[in-house]
Amino acid sequence: MDPSEVEFLAEKEFVKIIPNFSLDKIYLIGGDLGPFNPGLPVDVPVWLALNLKQRQKCRILPLEWMDVEKLEEIRELERKEDAFTPAPSPYYMELTKLLLNHASDNIPKADEIRTLVKDIWDTRIAKLRLSADSFIRQQEAHAQLDNLTLMEINTIREFLLDSLNCMYKLRSNLQPGSTKGQFADY
Amino acid sequence: MEENFLSLDDILLSQERLPVRTECVFPRLGFLEKSSDSQDIPEGTKMELPLWLSKGLYEKKRKVLSVELPKVYKEGWRTVFTADPNVVDLHKMGPYYYGLGSQMLHFDSPENPDIAKTLLQTFIGRFRRTMDSSQNAYNEDTSVLVGRLDCLEKVLFRSGQKGLNGFQSWEKGQASQLTASSLVLNYRKRKLVDVQA
Repeated sequence: MDPSEVEFLAEKEFVKIIPNFSLDKIYLIGGDLGPFNPGLPVDVPVWLALNLKQRQKCRILPLEWMDVEKLEEIRELERKEDAFTPAPSPYYMELTKLLLNHASDNIPKADEIRTLVKDIWDTRIAKLRLSADSFIRQQEAHAQLDNLTLMEINTIREFLLDSLNCMYKLRSNLQPGSTKGQFADY
Repeated sequence: MEENFLSLDDILLSQERLPVRTECVFPRLGFLEKSSDSQDIPEGTKMELPLWLSKGLYEKKRKVLSVELPKVYKEGWRTVFTADPNVVDLHKMGPYYYGLGSQMLHFDSPENPDIAKTLLQTFIGRFRRTMDSSQNAYNEDTSVLVGRLDCLEKVLFRSGQKGLNGFQSWEKGQASQLTASSLVLNYRKRKLVDVQA
């Protein structure tokens, strides 16, 4: 999967905006949106919010977890725990990038949030690598990936799958008898 | 490990030379053995044959030739691999260390279980390094990192790099720019004559 495809999926998440125009309810396949009234907050998907923002038709309210104190707390917890802690949002990395790039004027302390999210990401990726290594080292057959987000899995997916394939082949060498069957083919 | 008929790496692997000892006379095949002028290859000659040929000639019931282990798979080197697989330059030793090792298991040898175990342990021991270097080396010359890897590990390295580069270019916003497909880039410019024809 391409990172931009993951980003595309993240754009379906809902975010609150305050429009400065009025429009009746709009009916879309994915659900009804609106009605839009100036000054009244309304839930819309991120793709629409960004589009309206680019045309200066709304103000985006920061997501609940996009707050310096909350993120600092998550960062500390993430550093303390050995296992993965629940991510602030299943799409925290993508949403941070999208919202901060397009609407940084609506989000207070945008730069600090960017750094914090990057810190959390780095901590989690380091953990992911550590667990991938111990997974291979102990020759496990399956692992439970609680609290991992799609983007995190996506960065390591191809590499890990290829490695597991190689390991499987090398392990099948260990079974006596498996080579004899193949030998008859030649 | 199974061979893939279409894999270029596996084809190259089958060219690897193995030290063998003939167990019977090979009549009129003396031209294969450059060191002597005789017409036949006598019994008990030590020579090198490619993997594909030794595999075809090897039979358990009728002994045509016996295959010796290349020295990387022998006891002495196995101890080195068990001690620290990371220090070994597998590209120099192989470059098909894992592939050839797996193929060696076709030839019955009492050391087979140990070879298989060492192959797996070597892979596991080197995994962390391959992973870290492939996931961290961004925008730099990777030839130093890749130089000591086995062909199998190189493939892994490349897929790790693909994941990293994809993520980095997304983060920098390059992913949102449209680029021409690599297929289209190879097209030549159309000539006016071709279009009109």
